[in-house]
Amino acid sequence: MPRTISLWLVLVSVAAASAAVDAARPYYGGTLRIESQGVVRVLDPAVPVDPADAAPRDLVLPLVFETLVGIAPAGGIGPALATSWDSDAQGARWRFVLRSGVRLHDGSTLELAQVAAALRQRYPDWLIAVDGTSLDIHTGAARADLLWDLADIRNAIAVRGPSGGIVGTGPFRVERLDGVHLSLAAHDGYWGSRPFLDAVRIEFGRTLSSQLTSLETARADMIAVRPTDVRRLTQQQLRVVASRPLEGFALVFEPHRGAAADMALRRTVSAAIDRAAVVRVLLQGYGEPATSLLPTWLSGYAPFVLAEGGARLSRAAVSALPVERRTLVLRIPAGDSVAQAMADRIAVDARDAGLTVTVQAPTGLAPRADMRLIRVPLSVTTPDRGLAGVMGTLGPRTLASATREAAPAPGSSLDAVARVERSLLEQHVIVPIVHVPALYAVRERVDWLEGPVVLPSGRWNLEDVWVEPDRVADRP
Amino acid sequence: MTLRNRLFALVSAAVILAVVLVTVTVSASSRRAFAEVEAQRTAAFVTQFRRSFASEGARVVLALERIAASDAMLRIRAELTGGTDYAPYVNEALPLASSQELGLLDLVAADGTIVSSAHWPARFGRRNAWAIERPPASGSSRDFLQLVEVPEGNALGVVAVHRLETGAGPLYLAGGRRLDRELLDALTLPPGMRALLFQDVEPHSPRQRLIATSDGVVSNAAVEPLVAQVRQEGREQTAVVGGPGGDETVHAIPLAGRDGRVQGVLAVVSSGRELVALVDRIRWSGVAFGGLGIALGFVLSYLVAARVTRPVERLAVAARDLADGDWNVRLEGMRATREIAVLADAFETMGRQLVDQRERLVQTERVAAWRELARRLAHELKNPLFPMRITLDNLRRARPFPKVDFDEVFDESIETLGASLGNLNTVIGRFSDFARMPTPEFSRVVPNDIVHEVVGLFRSQLETNPGGAIRVSLDLDSDAGAIQADGEQLRRALQNLVLNAIDAMTGGGELGVRTRRSADVFRIEVSDTGQGIEPGERDRLFTPYYTTKQHGTGLGLAIVQSVVSDHRGKIWVESTPGRGATFHIELPA
Repeated sequence: MPRTISLWLVLVSVAAASAAVDAARPYYGGTLRIESQGVVRVLDPAVPVDPADAAPRDLVLPLVFETLVGIAPAGGIGPALATSWDSDAQGARWRFVLRSGVRLHDGSTLELAQVAAALRQRYPDWLIAVDGTSLDIHTGAARADLLWDLADIRNAIAVRGPSGGIVGTGPFRVERLDGVHLSLAAHDGYWGSRPFLDAVRIEFGRTLSSQLTSLETARADMIAVRPTDVRRLTQQQLRVVASRPLEGFALVFEPHRGAAADMALRRTVSAAIDRAAVVRVLLQGYGEPATSLLPTWLSGYAPFVLAEGGARLSRAAVSALPVERRTLVLRIPAGDSVAQAMADRIAVDARDAGLTVTVQAPTGLAPRADMRLIRVPLSVTTPDRGLAGVMGTLGPRTLASATREAAPAPGSSLDAVARVERSLLEQHVIVPIVHVPALYAVRERVDWLEGPVVLPSGRWNLEDVWVEPDRVADRP
Repeated sequence: MTLRNRLFALVSAAVILAVVLVTVTVSASSRRAFAEVEAQRTAAFVTQFRRSFASEGARVVLALERIAASDAMLRIRAELTGGTDYAPYVNEALPLASSQELGLLDLVAADGTIVSSAHWPARFGRRNAWAIERPPASGSSRDFLQLVEVPEGNALGVVAVHRLETGAGPLYLAGGRRLDRELLDALTLPPGMRALLFQDVEPHSPRQRLIATSDGVVSNAAVEPLVAQVRQEGREQTAVVGGPGGDETVHAIPLAGRDGRVQGVLAVVSSGRELVALVDRIRWSGVAFGGLGIALGFVLSYLVAARVTRPVERLAVAARDLADGDWNVRLEGMRATREIAVLADAFETMGRQLVDQRERLVQTERVAAWRELARRLAHELKNPLFPMRITLDNLRRARPFPKVDFDEVFDESIETLGASLGNLNTVIGRFSDFARMPTPEFSRVVPNDIVHEVVGLFRSQLETNPGGAIRVSLDLDSDAGAIQADGEQLRRALQNLVLNAIDAMTGGGELGVRTRRSADVFRIEVSDTGQGIEPGERDRLFTPYYTTKQHGTGLGLAIVQSVVSDHRGKIWVESTPGRGATFHIELPA
C-alpha cells in the first residue's frame, strides 16, 4: 500500500512538473490584439506628427523600425543596429560598427549606405561616411548626447524601397495601416530572433472604457488602463503591468495667481495636498508622490522638499482673505478621469486648509481658471533632456512666471539640472503632485519570456511575447 | 318724495340690506369652511410627508441591508480579513450606492475613516463622525435625519448606519438618500399648495438654505424668517406671509435629527389662491344673485308700492281736486285694501259733507251779500235822499215866503236836488261799473311804465295833500320787462291801490311802489305809512261794498281783486296797525 501511494505521488509530481513546464513553454504563432486610445496615421519616423499622435506612434514605431543605438531595459544606451561605437574626446566625431546580417522587411540586407542615407536625410549638416563595416559621423560640433539623439525612435533607420514603401528592420513588418487598424506580421528574418507571435493587430481610437470592456470580453489581449481600474482587473485575475513613472501630474498656477503676493497661498495649496493618499488610494499604489518634476529614477538626486518650507497661511489667515482670493478654479483636461479624481482630491485637501477649489473640465469656453492640473510626459533619457522636455511641455507662459532660468543645455551637469529644476519650483507656480507609470492590462493567455511585455521605459516588448492558442481562439 | 317713491325706496333698501347680509354671511361662512378645509389639506400633506419620510427611511435601512448582503460586500469582508489596507476599496461605494439607488453612501472604517464615498469619492481618508457616533451593535440602525457633507457643502438626508464585522474590525455602511425635490415630487400636493425644504447651512448659521421646492420657484424670501424662527424654537409654527401673488399661509415643521437638533424645516405654503378664487366666485355669485335679487326687488317693490299707493294717490288727487274746488270728485271703482277703503269712504263722506256745507255757506253768504248790498245801497242812497227830503221840506216851508225869498229858496233847492240826483246817479254808475267789469284783453304791457303813469297822474294830489305832502318812493326792477296783461285794467287796479294809500295817509307820509320779476312771477307792491289795517279787517278788505272810509263805496279793492283774479294772479295785504300796510300783487310773468 505505501508503495502504491508513493507511486501515485511520483506520477502526480511528474504530471504537475510537466504542466508547469508546459505552462512556461513559449508558443509560436497567434495574434496579439492590442487596443489603443491614440491613433497612428503615419509610420514614417522622419515625418513629424502632432504631439497628440506622437505618443502612440512612439510605441508602435519600435516594433517596425530600429535605431542605431537603443535604450537598454535597465536604462542607459545599449546596442541596436550598431553593435559598438566610439567617439573623440569632444564628441564631434563618432564611429559606429553596424550589426552584420540585418535584414530589411523586404528580405534584403541592410546596407551601411542605406543607414547613412537615412541619417543624412534627418541630419543634412552632418558628415556621414561609410568605411567598411563602420559608419563615421562628423557632427561639426561637440555632441555629448549624440547617442541619445540616435536612440530616439524618430531617428530610426527607415529605408524606402523600389515601390516607394518604407521598410524597417524591426521584429514586425507592416501589413496594413488604415487609420483604425494596424496589422503587423512577424519579421522572419529579424536579426534577433523571429518573434513568437505571428501577428500583432492594433486597433486605434478606442476609449479606455471600451478597451476595458474588450479585455473583459476577450476581444483584446492588451490594453492601457487607469489606476482606478486596477482593482476591477485584479478581481478578474487579469494582470497589470506597469512601467517606470513616465508621466507627472502637476498643478500650474496661472500668471494672475503667480505673483509674489500669492506665494503663501500657493505654498499653502502645495502643502495641503496629501500626495501619499493620492498615490496609495487613487493610483492604487501605481505611482510616486512628487515634490520635484523629475522622478528620482531619472534625475538621480533626492526629491526637493520645497513645499514644506517657507511661510504658509493658517486656516484663520485663509478665512480672512476675500472670498475671491480664497476661491480657486482648477481646470483639468476634459474627459481625463484620473485628473478629475486627482483634482477632486486636491479640492478636498484644500478645503481642509480653508480654501475653496472648484474643479472645471471645460469642453468649450469657460471662466478663467486660477490653476491647471496638467500631465507632464517624462522623457526616458537623461536628466537634462528630461527637464528640457518637461519645460517644453510647461510652455513659455508658465515658465515666465516660474523662473528666469533657461532649460539646461544638452549634456549639462546634474548640478545644473538640479539648479534649474529648483528654480522652477521655488515660486510654487509649478507644484508637482505625483509621478505615474504607464499601466497595461493583459489577458492571462499572454506571456513572455524575457522582460515584461512593457519595459520600464514604457516600450512594448512584443518580440518576447507569446499567446497560448488553446485558450482563446484567435480572431482576425 | 311721493309715498310711492318712499315706499319703493324703503322696500328696496330692505331688499338690498337682506341681499347684502345674505351675501356677506355666505361669504364669511364659505371662508371659514374653506379655511378649515385648507387646514385639513395641510395636515393631510404633512402626514403624507411624514409617511413618505418614514417610508424613505425604511427603504434606506433595507437598501443598506441589501448592500451588506451583496456579493461585493461579502468579497470585501473576506479580503479585509487579512489587513486594514482600504485603498483598493476606494471606488466600491459608488456602484454599491447605485445598485440600491442611494444618493449617499460611505464605507467607514472602525475609526471613522472614510474608505470609500459614493457621493464624494475624493473624500476618502477623512472622518465621518456621524457614522460612528452611535453605531449600532450589529445590523442597521434606525433611520434618522442627518446633514451629510457633500462637495457642494451640506446635504440633508435620510440616513442609517449598518455595521458589518470584518477581520479588520467593524466596517460601517453609512448611507441614505437626500431630501430633495425628488422626495417632494413624489408627494401629491393639493392645488395651490407648495412645499419648501430648508436645511441648516451650519449649526449656528444665521441663514438656512432652500434645498428643494415643489414648484421650482427658488425665491422664497418671505418664508425664511418663519423658517428661521422654527429652526431656533424647534416647534411647528404657522403664519401668513405676503407673497407676490398675495398672502400665503405657511405651516413650518421642524425636522429634527438623531440628537434632536433641528436639521431642516419643511414649509408647506398654501397660497389660498384657489380658496380666494372660490370665495370670490361665491362672493361674485352672491353679488350677481344679489344684484338680480335687488333688481327683482326693485320691480316687486315698485309693483307693491304702486299697488299700495295707487288708491292713496287717487285719494290724494281727489283731495287736491276737492281743494281746488272740484266738488264733484268721486272715488267710485277704486280698489283698495281695507284701511284705504275705509279712508276712501271717509273721504267720500267728507266730500259730500263739504258740498253740503258749501251750498249752505253759499246760500248764507248770498243772503249776507244781499243784505250787505241792501245795506250799502240803503246807505248810499240814503245820503243823497236825506238832503233831497230836507230840500223838499225847505221848499214846503218856503212856500209862504215872499216870491223873492221863495225864488231864492227854490233856486237853492233845485240846485241841491240836482246835486243829490247827481250823487245818486254817481252811486248807481259805480255799481253799474262794478257789475260790468269786462274780460281782460291781454297784450304785452310794461308794468313799470304803468307805475310811472299812475304815480304821475296822482303826483299833484300827493304833493298837495291837505294833511301833509306824501313822498313817493319807487323801487322798480330795471330788468322787469313786459308781461302779458290788460294794461287798462292793471292801470285801474294800481290807481285804486294808490288812491287807497292816499286815503290811508291823511296826515302825509310815504307811498312806496316796488316791482320785482322772477322766473315765473311779476310782483308789484304798493305800500303806505298810514294807520294800517286791523287784523279783523283784512279778511273782509276785498269784499265788495266793504269800506272803512266814511265816503267809500267799498268797491275799490274789490275791483283790484277782480282784476288780479282775472289775470290769474294773487293779491294779499300785510299790515302792522299804526305803521302802514303793503299790498302785494303777483301776476304770471
